[in-house]
Amino acid sequence: MSRLHLLLLPLLAAVSVGAAMAETPVIRIEIRDHLFYPDHVKIPADTKVKLLVHNTDPTPEEFESYELNREKIIVGGSRAVIFVGPLPPGEYPFFGEFYPETAQGKVIAE
Amino acid sequence: MLLSSVILVLREILEAALIVSILLVFSRQLALSGRWIGTALVVGLLGATIYAARIGEVSDWFGYVGQEVVNATMQLILCGLVAAFILLLYRQRRRALSWLMALVLVLSLTREGSEILIYYSGFLHQPELLAPVLLGGGLGTGIGLSAGALLYYGLMALRPLYRQRLSLVLLALFGGNMVSQATLLLIQADWLPAGGAVWDSSTYLPDQSVVGQLLYALVGYEATPSGLQTAGYLGATAVLLFLQWPFWRPSSEPRLSQALKP
Repeated sequence: MSRLHLLLLPLLAAVSVGAAMAETPVIRIEIRDHLFYPDHVKIPADTKVKLLVHNTDPTPEEFESYELNREKIIVGGSRAVIFVGPLPPGEYPFFGEFYPETAQGKVIAE
Repeated sequence: MLLSSVILVLREILEAALIVSILLVFSRQLALSGRWIGTALVVGLLGATIYAARIGEVSDWFGYVGQEVVNATMQLILCGLVAAFILLLYRQRRRALSWLMALVLVLSLTREGSEILIYYSGFLHQPELLAPVLLGGGLGTGIGLSAGALLYYGLMALRPLYRQRLSLVLLALFGGNMVSQATLLLIQADWLPAGGAVWDSSTYLPDQSVVGQLLYALVGYEATPSGLQTAGYLGATAVLLFLQWPFWRPSSEPRLSQALKP
């Protein structure tokens, strides 16, 4: 048990540091008819941003990106928050795992 | 649609199938009854159904990052269960070991199974697509279970000492993988600070390649992990390997297989 406590301490410290961070830019993305709007999402490089994804379809979708290491289910008609970055300049593709044929997009950090 | 459903279901099934295979090897070595699997399957599927039905509500928790927090909590509990399993393995507490294995399977199924159920729930609105995605899911399940069976029979074919050691290492890596994934989710939720990638092996072995996916499910491979994630992975794996020390003494006989000897 004491070993577990020792493991949790740095985790808690890190959480409080994260909470103390300043305002983060918010980027809005909409899912409609299994497409992302916009599908090219420009964000500032080396800055943490908050993606606010609104799934307006009645069906669930999963926001997924190997390059961003992100994965999140967004049920139909709901909103989700996904934090990304800070990222070095570059392109980071993302897709909807439930409808990958159409739901494709990329984050462009510049 | 068919191919994407194969991949989606396979990814979820694979992770659960591999850990079940490893646990089955321990179960066989300890000559435990396999009853824990049946019970865990039923409870796990029930858990997956409840979690899938409630996912919208859960997602809204903690400022829309409830999904990350709940999944990360389940993964950290899984790592804790693996630690308890290792500790009790040495003492051969057979009843408790069965319970722990059942709990690992229940939590794994709840997490992975709910995603599959949510995916399929979307197609109830689109009956014309239901047949291909169900077929794809069936194929994905078949491939995932085959990979699990391959791992199980592969491990069982080894000499007892090597089988025990490899199973223990895979168990420790599974625990490390859970902590790594939990760290990643808490970074995604902004509960943990994000950092840059420690390395980038995406040109040699991309996450989305077949080998990348397999290694992800088996040992938690990531092409671009952050520092915190790597530290969590290595730290948890090291702790779990340390807990296994009685099994790693040079003179130690394969303790578990002794239970099988007449």
